[in-house]
Parts: sequence; C-alpha cells; structure tokens
Amino acid sequence: MKKLLTVIVVLGILYLIPTLLGGELMAQDLVPNIPKEGGDLTEGLLHFWEYTGFANATFGNFIMIAVGLFFIFLAIRFHYEPLLLIPIGTGILLGNIPFPAGAGVGIYESGSVLNYLYFGVTQGIYPPLIFLGIGAMTDFSSLISNPRLMLLGAAAQIGVFGTFIGAIALGFEVHEAGAISIIGGADGPTAIFASAKLAPQLIGSIAIAAYSYMALVPVIQPPIMKLLITKKERLIRMKPPRAVSKTEKILFPIIGMLLTTFISPSAIPLLGMLFFGNLLKESGVTDRLADTARTKMIDIVTILLGVTVGASTQASVFLTGSSIKIFALGAVSFIIATAGGLLFAKIMNLFLSEKNKINPLIGAAGVSAVPDSARVVQQEGIKSDPSNHLLMHAMAPNVSGVIGSAVAAGIMISFLM
Amino acid sequence: MEYASTSATDWSQIWIITGVGYTVVFLALLLLMFVFKKMPQILNLGIGKKIKEVREKSRSKENGNAEEERYLSGEISAAIATALHLYFKEQHDEESGVITIKRVARTYSPWSSKIYGVNNNPR
Repeated sequence: MKKLLTVIVVLGILYLIPTLLGGELMAQDLVPNIPKEGGDLTEGLLHFWEYTGFANATFGNFIMIAVGLFFIFLAIRFHYEPLLLIPIGTGILLGNIPFPAGAGVGIYESGSVLNYLYFGVTQGIYPPLIFLGIGAMTDFSSLISNPRLMLLGAAAQIGVFGTFIGAIALGFEVHEAGAISIIGGADGPTAIFASAKLAPQLIGSIAIAAYSYMALVPVIQPPIMKLLITKKERLIRMKPPRAVSKTEKILFPIIGMLLTTFISPSAIPLLGMLFFGNLLKESGVTDRLADTARTKMIDIVTILLGVTVGASTQASVFLTGSSIKIFALGAVSFIIATAGGLLFAKIMNLFLSEKNKINPLIGAAGVSAVPDSARVVQQEGIKSDPSNHLLMHAMAPNVSGVIGSAVAAGIMISFLM
Repeated sequence: MEYASTSATDWSQIWIITGVGYTVVFLALLLLMFVFKKMPQILNLGIGKKIKEVREKSRSKENGNAEEERYLSGEISAAIATALHLYFKEQHDEESGVITIKRVARTYSPWSSKIYGVNNNPR
C-alpha cells in the first residue's frame, strides 16, 4: 500500500511539474520516453489514456474476453477439461487485452515474451512433449489384451477424412483443409502439430475448436450413442480382458513405434515420443524419467501450450469467417468420428461369435480425447446396466484413437507438404 | 507425393488423398493388431521351446548323474557331508567372550520407597 501511494505521489509530482513551473520544465524531461508534444497535465493524461487498453479496445476484444471467461466458467463450474480450459481461457484474456501496435507485448510481435513462448507452438515443439507425457501415463494393457479393438480407433478416423472433404467443400485451400481435418482426430496436440506444419495462420482457431469440442465430449457423444445403439446392444457384456505379461507391455511401444513410424514417418515426433514415453513407463528401470514425463513435464508444457494457444486468439486474427467455418466443421467432425466408431463396432459384431461380441458403445471411444470419451462410454453403459463396466474395454479404442489420429496427421502432412 | 496447390479444386486428387489416407490408417492399426494378436503365441512358443530344452536337459542330467553316481566314491561323499556338517555347525552368532556384570547407575527415585507408604503410621 505504501509503495502504491509512493508511485501515485511520484506520478502526480511528475505531471504537476510543467504546471507548477509554467511549462519551462516538463515531465518528459525527467522521463525520457514520453513524447514532447503537449506540455500540460491534460496532454499527459491523454497520452497515458492512449496507451491504456480502454482506448485501444475493439468490440471484438470484448467478445473474445467473454469467450475466455466462458471457458474459465466451463472449467470451474462443470469441470470440463479444467487443465486445458483454464490456461486457454486465461490465454484468451491475455491475448485480447488491447494495446497500441508496436508496444512489443503482443503474441504476434517478434521479440515479445509471448512470441517467444508461442515459438513452441508454431514450430510444433510442445505437442511431441505432451505426447511423451501421455505415453508415460498410458497403460496399453487393455489394447494388448484385445488387439482387435484397435480397429475401432482406426474407424473413428473417418472424422479426419470426412472433415477434409467438408473443408474443401467450404472453400478452404487444400493445406488449410488438411490442418482443419485433424480436429476430427479429437486430439489437441496432434491438431496443433498438423496445423503448425500445414496452415500456421489457422493454429489458434484449430486449437480452440479442437480443445473446445474435446471438453464438450460428454455433451456431444451421448445423443449420438442413443441414436445409433439399441438398448439390447448396450447391454452386451464383454469378456474380461486377459492378463498381459510384462514382456508384451515392453514389446508394445518398441514394435508400435517401429511399425507406425515406418508407415507414417511424418508423425515421428508424435508417435516416437508417445511410444518412448510408454517405454520409459513399462521398462521398469526408468521410473524417475517416466515420473517426470507424466507429471511435472507434461504440466509445464500444458501450461505453456494452453496460455499461448489462448493468447493467439487475438480478436483481429481470430474473429473471421474462417474461424466460424472451422468451428462448424469441428462439430461435424466430432459427430462423424463418433458415429464412425459406433457403426464400425456394430459391423464388427456381425462377424463375431456370441461370446466374443463387443458392446458397440465402446466404438465412441475411438475418437481419441483420452480419457474423456472412455469415461462417457462408461457412464452411458452404466445407465443401461449398472453392473456393466465398460471403462477398461473403452480404453483400448481410446488409446488406439491416439495412435490412429497421429498416423492420420502424418499421412496428411506427407501428402500435402 | 507432393500436392500442387491450385486455385481450382482438383476433386479427384482430394478423393485419392482421402481414400488412400484412411486405408493407410487402417492398415497401420491392422498390422499392429495382427502382431499383437500373434504375440502371446510367439512368446508362448519361446517359452515352450525353453520348457522343452529344460526338460531335455534335466533328462540328460538324470542319465548323466546316474552314470556319475557309479563313480562317486564313499570318501568323496563323506568329505562333502563333513564339510557341510562343519559349515552348518559354524553358523552361530559371533560373541566377544567377555562376561561381566555391568553396573547400571540410576538416579534415585522414591516411587517404591517404603518410607512414603500409606501403611506408615506417624504414631
């Protein structure tokens, strides 16, 4: 409080100097960066006013600030992906505080702090680090015990390719369409990685759309499940997964890494880091590294990624017709991906014996969005039969969705770059 | 394959990208699925081989031991038995061998002193 008072008094004296001395000595003479024109208190205050956010605010800034506040509200009130929405929401607020051009504080102004942090997004550095953490915290046992569920993760990638066609139809340039399509993979880091390579100018819109819809998975998926899956199908009980040996768990990241990156080398940063993180976890001899990757490191990167992606949504860049189209495409892509997974599960059931049938609800978990979509499947399954727990089964297509979306992103990049 | 960006959308190329891309995603996961479907069998095969080898070895050892036992003299057996006996007999805690009565100094405490007993009659 004392400091504040001191600052106010000093500022007051500085601005009163010209008035008291009849304009002979001005505040600018003491503080060199203040321009010389305007010698009285009013001029100084006006100049100060011009530097404030209020003078530079546009209607768009207020809209975006409202969006940022809404994200924070969603995270706190409804617990929708709070670890992502709080940093992104705060980033939106920071990115939309108006400032005069050339002040060196904006995320798009070279040399600013936010611009340096944004480098990790534009160069695709943060997403692989996030994948490293995801790998170190993911248990692939359910997938290894029932490998055929991997196909559900592949089937849900129809969201990616459906969105690609939709984006082209809406008039996006082919590289932009490729970047937008990865929203259908329901995987934020992958979407950011792909857009950094294919359409850097759309990173903000794509990331916000991807994370928004990922947060809204509990709202988007249940109606589609109800629409496509019958009551009888929802009651299907699946065989409990078999125990997986340690050798299999260690072999999975090694074989997975080699196979998928040979097929889609453009996804090496993502898939390589994902499987590397999992190897750290499963090897059993690098607990310290795995622990760091899945806790502190992923937390730090999530903070940086969230804030910078949020800050990149400056109203002047973000509030465009393209962003609205991207949001619309994002919603459609999530619906297509969910429906794709569900319908493929139903098709698979046609070829499976009675005792090996799968509950088609788990197809919805093929849309990556780990672990929210698996949680939604569990909740929907319990609604039909409170003793039918599908979470473990749903985790298999869920993690294969992560692999599938990274492979799809790699394919898009290699086709379009 | 490099996609040449053109102003007019080449829909045939878009459909090719879509079709090939989706197929490749499927193939990648299909391949992974087959590998891990076969993995238990491959690992069991390895284990099976090992089990067979161990069984064969134990059989051959049994045969070999039988032959060797013919040549194991009673003196050798007695030497081994004595060595083992001595070894297990020596399994004992090491002690200093010094036996003393250690005097323990305690501070005076009158908690059980009879002079403060309730039965003491002041008369």
